[in-house]
Amino acid sequence: MTTTTSSPWALEVRAVSKAFPGVRALDAVNLRLAPGEVHALLGENGAGKSTLIKILTGIQTADTGQILVGGTERVFHSAHEATAAGIGAVHQERNVVTAFTVAENIALGNTPTRHGRVDWRAVRDGARRVLDMLDFRIDPDTPMNRLSPAQTQLVEIARGLYADSAVLLLDEPTASISDNESGLLFDVVHRLTDQGRAVLFVSHKLEEVFAHCRTATVFRDGRSVAEAVQLADVDRDTVVDLLVGRTLAKLDVPDRAPDRTSTPAIELRGVETERGHRSVDLSVHRGEIVGLYGLVGAGRTELAHALLGLDKITGGEVRVSGEVVRIKDVGDALSRHRIGYVTEDRKAEGLFLDQTVARNLTVTVLGQLSNRWGVLRRKAARVAADEYIDSLDIRVSSRDQIVGQLSGGNQQKVSLGKWLAARTDILVIDEPTVGIDVRTKGAFYRLIWDLADQGKAVLVISSDLAEMVTLVDTIAVMQDFEVTGHVANTHDYDEMSKAVIRLVHRTSENVA
Amino acid sequence: MTSTVPRPTVTRRIDERINPSTKERFGSALSDNRVGLVVLIALLVVAIGSARPTFWNPQFVMGPMLTNIAIYSVVGLSQMAVLSIGQMNLAVGGMAATGGLGAAIALDHGAPLVVGMVVGVIAGAACGAVCGLLVTRADVNSFVVTLAMSFALLGLVPAVYGWVSTGAAITVDTPGLAELGRWTTANLCLGNTCGPAGVPLLLFLSIATMVVVAFGYARTRVGRETLLTGSSAQAALLSAIPVGRRVTSVHALSGALAGLAGVMLGASTGSFTPSIGQEFLIPSFLGPILGGTLLVGGYVSVLGTSLGIALTVLIRQGLLLFGVGIEGLNILLGSVLLLALCTDRIRDVMSQRSRLRASLQGVPASEPSSEGKVAA
Repeated sequence: MTTTTSSPWALEVRAVSKAFPGVRALDAVNLRLAPGEVHALLGENGAGKSTLIKILTGIQTADTGQILVGGTERVFHSAHEATAAGIGAVHQERNVVTAFTVAENIALGNTPTRHGRVDWRAVRDGARRVLDMLDFRIDPDTPMNRLSPAQTQLVEIARGLYADSAVLLLDEPTASISDNESGLLFDVVHRLTDQGRAVLFVSHKLEEVFAHCRTATVFRDGRSVAEAVQLADVDRDTVVDLLVGRTLAKLDVPDRAPDRTSTPAIELRGVETERGHRSVDLSVHRGEIVGLYGLVGAGRTELAHALLGLDKITGGEVRVSGEVVRIKDVGDALSRHRIGYVTEDRKAEGLFLDQTVARNLTVTVLGQLSNRWGVLRRKAARVAADEYIDSLDIRVSSRDQIVGQLSGGNQQKVSLGKWLAARTDILVIDEPTVGIDVRTKGAFYRLIWDLADQGKAVLVISSDLAEMVTLVDTIAVMQDFEVTGHVANTHDYDEMSKAVIRLVHRTSENVA
Repeated sequence: MTSTVPRPTVTRRIDERINPSTKERFGSALSDNRVGLVVLIALLVVAIGSARPTFWNPQFVMGPMLTNIAIYSVVGLSQMAVLSIGQMNLAVGGMAATGGLGAAIALDHGAPLVVGMVVGVIAGAACGAVCGLLVTRADVNSFVVTLAMSFALLGLVPAVYGWVSTGAAITVDTPGLAELGRWTTANLCLGNTCGPAGVPLLLFLSIATMVVVAFGYARTRVGRETLLTGSSAQAALLSAIPVGRRVTSVHALSGALAGLAGVMLGASTGSFTPSIGQEFLIPSFLGPILGGTLLVGGYVSVLGTSLGIALTVLIRQGLLLFGVGIEGLNILLGSVLLLALCTDRIRDVMSQRSRLRASLQGVPASEPSSEGKVAA
């Protein structure tokens, strides 16, 4: 806790910027958090929320800008310094040591000691205190690996409470816990704010935000487009507009009328997977763009992985051009069934960051580019690489530039280009425009429309509803590893968002 | 407010294809550590050669030294192969011993030289393939697998030697073996002109191996796919590269090269013993790392590996000529390895920094937002 009381803000972020290779994650963002209030930080995926949280908790440092805690400027070089300054956090990713017990995890980093040795009694008592606050009945000595994901999340929250911080940051704490458990969490949150603490609440769930937060800051593409808005003064639509930016929805959408009478290029009938998908029905015709929408954790990427043979399909059937198939691996999908998969995480899965643009673009066609002794035809490889550099308008200094040096949009073009080079009939594109600026997004949508016009069947996976409404012909909604319904896209955002949100919540209502 | 997505403009892109400036080219030549190695080797040769003239003696110094460089280059390639996928082979020594043993048994049974050598290479490759299968199928770290393999071979190889021969060594007189191991270019005469005496024939075998491996990595589909696997196994898997097969075959290649090095060492000394390969492990890492091969995978340098080995052998030879004892030698070689590892790390950090810098320049400066900000 700080002694300075000159500032009316418990936490103030002034013009903080942060850049990563290829993307400006934060561009002079501001945020003000008053004591005793729950403040919402809103933004779509890749808007920069998590980056700000990481800066506030000392995991990363800002390139420029100031952070003031209770009126005093602070620079955090480690998570420990942030905790010492009175900032506690519950992170989106689970950061628990599974080999330790619940109590050890809660006390981690602030472990009480006596004469230089761990005071185990204090550890257990402290853990008990915060667990009671959450009404979470569990023995503090339980090893973490026996806990369910939701229980693990509760331990994370308990850890955030343990340090008695003046400012508590909650990064999507309710993403994987039940309504009941989140109710308890909000009780605690309100108790904390009554004591004069400030809480920053990051969430995708607008219902929760409107129910529990007083003010909000909205991030879009790394900028704060709204600062400290009183939520009582605005309605949900205004917030959604701020989140997605209307510019996107106004992109000229071509009139598309895909022919759905022929045999689907790919069809899933009652597919069940090892990862927990149940009776998934989905079909994409030639020339059609189908969107698979769902919240984070709904099982969309996992379905794509199962389709490509990376996870096991345990039931139902997959048909390619009407024939029942079993796909062993990505190579099988590519060579036998002409399916390409543009991955969600281009940095970790889609690209070879330390290799050249040319090598990345030709990776799927090395077989065609080599002679019968397996020796690469270098000229053909150069021609193939240049063809996609030109047709996708990838901005490079040469085809031998290292991909890691390119901007996010150009990296994504390379990631897509390698599958275009393979000339597949079916293309699964996972989160095509995450972390890409608005204008490049438009170029991408044109490209995907062109691909469909060429007769490819395209399945787009996205958690960006505005993108879905703009891009696809049909929206399939996935929630809890089930397809809850299909909506024909009318390209009217309000109408579509209502229909889709209804489908997102259908399973939970059915269960309740 | 309608969005205007700019039409792709080809002209703009071509303008941006600027050739790297001479300064940058000069900089990249300097940062290429192979250039540094060549300079260092040349300086050392001149220094040692002028201080100790016996250095130039073809029969006792130059010849044996080049033989060592020939054999250890192949050992270095063996390690480099697994490093190309970001893994390691701690059993290079054991695999070399197995290769030597295989060749010795075949030759002992009257097989011709070439057959014996092939058997040795296959024996080494088999050990490597077993490691590769364990790494891919059982998903065990290569460190653990090859460590276990090296222990297994440490016991197995002497046991087999004891079983097939009365002594602990096998000496064969297969036609051609002694010539391969001990002849120099001085033995190759065209009429009355013979080659220099200090250049062993094994060096040519080593160079041929280097050419094949370099061609494989640079020009073939399998080599390219192996390097991409090393660059990012996950991305390779999702790019339809048969990652498991590439990992297994690269371990087999490593074993084959170690086996070949074992055969070469046996040929040069004239007898095959269980002690073949005992000193291979540290040089096997020194060569590739000094030569610029990345420990994390995705980049190899065959020439660099050989230059790295040459430098190590040269330092060793020089110190011997100056009368430094074996302890001093080992201290120095350990220090060189540490230094090489540090350079590897520094290179890594530097390339990441330049990547970040380049990408920052690529990001357009923040434009004034066209949408009005909503403020409280």
